[in-house]
Amino acid sequence: MIEQITIKNFKSFKDVTLKLGPLNIFIGTNASGKSNFFDALRVLQGIGYGFTLSEILDGKPKSATSEVWEGIRGGSVGAAFAFDDADKPTVFEVTGRLPDQHNTGFEFTIAFSAQEGHFREERMSVSGKLIYDRARAPNDKWSREFFVRFSDKDSGGMFSVDQDRPTWTQMLRRGDPRSMGGRAERIEQVTRILADMQRIDPSPALLHAYSQAYEIKRMGEHGENFAALIRMICKDPETKEAYLSWLRELRPRDVDDVGTVSGAIGEPLLMMRERNHEWLAPSLSDGTLRFAALAAAFFQPDMPRVLTIEEIENGIHASRLRLLVELMRSQTAAGKTQAMVTTHSPVVLAWLKPEEYATTFYCKRDEETGESRIVPLSEIPRLQEIVSKQPISDLFAEGWLEEAL
Amino acid sequence: MSFQVLIIPEDPTYNGYILKPIVERMLAELGKPNAHVVILTNPKTHGYAHAVSAIRGDLIERYGHFPLWLFLPDGDPASNLGWLESELSGRGVHLFCCAAQPEVEAWLLAGHRDDLPIPWADVRQHRRLKEDVFEPFLKQFGDGGASGGRKRLTCETLAKYRGLLSVCPELAELEERLRVFLAQGA
Repeated sequence: MIEQITIKNFKSFKDVTLKLGPLNIFIGTNASGKSNFFDALRVLQGIGYGFTLSEILDGKPKSATSEVWEGIRGGSVGAAFAFDDADKPTVFEVTGRLPDQHNTGFEFTIAFSAQEGHFREERMSVSGKLIYDRARAPNDKWSREFFVRFSDKDSGGMFSVDQDRPTWTQMLRRGDPRSMGGRAERIEQVTRILADMQRIDPSPALLHAYSQAYEIKRMGEHGENFAALIRMICKDPETKEAYLSWLRELRPRDVDDVGTVSGAIGEPLLMMRERNHEWLAPSLSDGTLRFAALAAAFFQPDMPRVLTIEEIENGIHASRLRLLVELMRSQTAAGKTQAMVTTHSPVVLAWLKPEEYATTFYCKRDEETGESRIVPLSEIPRLQEIVSKQPISDLFAEGWLEEAL
Repeated sequence: MSFQVLIIPEDPTYNGYILKPIVERMLAELGKPNAHVVILTNPKTHGYAHAVSAIRGDLIERYGHFPLWLFLPDGDPASNLGWLESELSGRGVHLFCCAAQPEVEAWLLAGHRDDLPIPWADVRQHRRLKEDVFEPFLKQFGDGGASGGRKRLTCETLAKYRGLLSVCPELAELEERLRVFLAQGA
């Protein structure tokens, strides 16, 4: 799990640090920085994949070995902090715990210049022990020779690496004896956490349709192969029953069953049965399908380490948003994944518990400096006292939270 | 038109999954199998005092047309709520209060007494039932579905409905009061 992220000189962030939990909710007005934080997560994911900096920021076309990678909004031109010296490097610092037996702690820092298209510095340590540390080449920012150390006692040495790609992936590919051994496993564990993020933004047009795959363990970002995922979920009776219980809470009439029907060549299409009537995906409402897809994302056999969902309330009736909050709370508390979610809905906020305010973040853009701040609700002065008298949904809707910061 | 019933819990987040099936079953036993039972979620009550404040406040403007309100809080501070029923009666609302002994979770646990680590008499007097007894029970017997298993476990308890009433006499008393109320032509 990622426990803390520091972002410096990236888009609207000059220097922000967030302490994260299993369920993290981001609120704030339009253009307050919420999506910029999600872009930051995407940069980390690209780093975890070992892409070049320009691929990460500007996108990467489909190739024989990888799908299309969408760059961040604004690409490399808009990546640096816009209100300061563009030469200052963008820095990401991530701390967290590996999913091993001991929940070993790790730290990873990486700095880059979007303008130059180069990574500048990189450092990884696990359980307090240095895995590698790549400093910037002295006096020549275009040099390919970098000083790399593998332990705190190591005097280090010069290595030739491509500046536009993270060092870790080059060390693993090269198979340098000094960088391999136990280090290789640790590097893979840490970068796997960064890479294993899944953005979910289900598109009703895809959810209404047949899947192209027969069975899959993880659906696509927009709900590609949703029905194939449902077919997979339904193969395990216990998982199916748990998934079905959420659908039952959504629909006014009880859902008796969920499953798939097959097309001409066996391709699956979602089916829900209510009182002996089968409803197929094309005749289900957009909202029902969107909820079904969001719920299915939490029951994927191949769960991502981090699940990101923007504007989770889209298409869901206000009286059913409570279910989404309960779904995210129960599934993240069980350790299945870590969720990062944005919302504009006061209702979502109303269903949070006060103890969840520590990982419910208010994003605010300073009108003068253009800088975004991200503050946990638990640190907003007087909030705890006031929510005992006024619903937090009202405080949010009327703009009180923004004024209180 | 279905018979409409408003349930006011101390906290609707998870109590609704326990209270709604119990009230629906009770009404079905009393000849109202299609009653429309609504858990109050706005305001989202948090605790006994807030719930009482909501009942005495402007809730009547939105739910005054419901022929029956049920306030089902945890037991301790709610031992005698006759005054609240009288106050609402004066405003034209039929409110019945029934305090769970010691907490609402006991009603779910009533059907699972063999799986509890302490005798039933101790459950009924436990001061931290939710934290010390219910949560470990749910961890063991709950599931990853909606409600964490509360709804399913409550329905299992309701399979022995008369048994539930016999070990939770406050529910038996509520049923009797509802029987008289409905017989009066509600």
